[in-house]
Amino acid sequence: MKIKEMGGKLRARAGAMRDKLSEKPDVRKMARDFWYGKPHEERRLGDLYIGDTGLYKHREWRGVVDTMYYFNMIWLYNYIHMVTDVMKYGGGPVMGPVNLVKGLMRYRWMGQPYLTVMHWFDRGLEGMRGPILRGSAWHYRGMTSETIRQFMEMFASDKKLNGGKESEQWKHNIAHNETVSGSIFYGFHDVLEDIPLEMIPYFVTCHVNNHTVLNYIDAAQSIGLPSDPCPMCQAEYGLFVLDDYPDYAPTMITSNEACDGSVATSVLQDWFLNRPLYAMPQPMRYDDPLVQEHCQREIEGAWKFIEEQYGVKFDWDMYCKYAEEQNKLTAFEHEKWDVAANTPYYPINGVAQALYRIYYSQDGNRPIWHEIDAHVRKIMNNTVKNKIVTLPKTRHRAIAWSCAPLYYSNWCTWAYNCWGINCVINMDSLMFDQYLRTDTYEHALEDLAWYNEKAPMRAMAVGGHEHILSLWSYMERFNCDMVIMYDQLQCKGMQGIHGVFEDEFRKRDIHAIWVPHALPDKRTVSRKEIRKIISDYMITVMREEPLDPTLVDFEDDSSW
Amino acid sequence: MKKILLKILGIAAFIYGLLFAVFYFDLDGKFLYYIFEPAMIKHFDNMKREDNTTMPYEMKENVSRE
Repeated sequence: MKIKEMGGKLRARAGAMRDKLSEKPDVRKMARDFWYGKPHEERRLGDLYIGDTGLYKHREWRGVVDTMYYFNMIWLYNYIHMVTDVMKYGGGPVMGPVNLVKGLMRYRWMGQPYLTVMHWFDRGLEGMRGPILRGSAWHYRGMTSETIRQFMEMFASDKKLNGGKESEQWKHNIAHNETVSGSIFYGFHDVLEDIPLEMIPYFVTCHVNNHTVLNYIDAAQSIGLPSDPCPMCQAEYGLFVLDDYPDYAPTMITSNEACDGSVATSVLQDWFLNRPLYAMPQPMRYDDPLVQEHCQREIEGAWKFIEEQYGVKFDWDMYCKYAEEQNKLTAFEHEKWDVAANTPYYPINGVAQALYRIYYSQDGNRPIWHEIDAHVRKIMNNTVKNKIVTLPKTRHRAIAWSCAPLYYSNWCTWAYNCWGINCVINMDSLMFDQYLRTDTYEHALEDLAWYNEKAPMRAMAVGGHEHILSLWSYMERFNCDMVIMYDQLQCKGMQGIHGVFEDEFRKRDIHAIWVPHALPDKRTVSRKEIRKIISDYMITVMREEPLDPTLVDFEDDSSW
Repeated sequence: MKKILLKILGIAAFIYGLLFAVFYFDLDGKFLYYIFEPAMIKHFDNMKREDNTTMPYEMKENVSRE
């Protein structure tokens, strides 16, 4: 019986192949597809993956112009510039590569994830064409360059890589929590170098290659620390448990990163680092006028700490210079939001928007951000002037709210390719929305305090219900008809307001898709499960057909 | 002279073509996924590390309060 069945199947398959071969190839269509790339519905991007690895049988053919742009101006350009950045920031053409190899062999967070960076580009830019491919790729380029700057400066002054030697550079570095904004240090910017401690060893790795961070989460729990706090905090102190933190600075400035779990991170860092440490907690309920002065005194306390430890003075003119430079970045961000909110011509996709904004606004003013903004401005002016619709298959304009899954920040690229969901803006992009006045010291300090109170997670997520519920006004402002509601399963703050959102979504008749995740830890809710939740909603509630059916169900558990 | 120039152009074109093949067939990704990353994981798994939990935890001088 089985042999008969098998014979039948083989005959059917042979028949189908015969039919296919007997069909006359449509040469004109083939030529058109080669030159312009296939239409969206015929791309079958899911067929390009090899098993669950996330690797491609071959990279996507986007038509001649876009494929050659991707090859020359993204793939080749970035590989070449990674080499030049290593030399530029690592101490020259000899010491740069030497320090890179030392770091590569010493730190797991360096040796495992960062060389796979071009796949990070690939995942975020899948299916993109024309100006949105270019604009988004420039954002990725900016983040890559700034990441290289940070880890090369760490390696160049790292005691662990340099035989325990306290170099001059080591003596002039300040380490700080990744959620202590770079703007705090503008008054010392030309004489000291501030480098966030966890940004590169933890945060960026999760986006580039999500395997590495699991080691740090497990390490934290291996010494008996609880497993239920935010896994971000766990990963941050896991770095210390595994002795995988670079020793590049004599002091540390920490923050409460907007939750109690992070206060514990500071305590543990104080233990493991065993050096002068200034804790600069920022208020959670920052609207309370009584906390403003306290917050300002905390910032001044950090400045005093730096002056005492390094023997340098806070320079008001220097502060003004860099704060004004930063204001230019903020002004351009507002221009971008305006185009994103009111036109279909925005040349940045959801993942590039989210990551670039959180990166530069946290990191503070650096030349690379201005360089990138100049490129993007040119592209955006062109799309607006020529009315180029950048994501033409948009069916829904979505806003993503709450904190995103770091291991699947490119879900929005998938959601557009598969379902036409265009994630126009996200919550973390809207934080840090504050100009820094420089007319008087008092105004400067006031705005700086506000700026830091509007930091990631704090600005909306735990800053009080009136802030997290500002979703409705942002939905209106950005002309969105759908919410992708992140559900960080280990964030106690956001879990507390889950029910209120459920009620409000029903009351306001808003299409909202809850996306559960555990920030950096892909083991709790996999990427495939996230896709299934979105696809189920699109099929059963929205009753829509996928634009690319090969993307509805595929494996990628082992991918970066 | 023309011959040398043509030779240089030929080599450049060959390298460019080779790089395009690496790009198009995702050979960089395959190398990193199947060869480089497993080797690095093995290296880091076998690395001797200091036990940071032996660090004494003590009160430090309060350095920044007025």
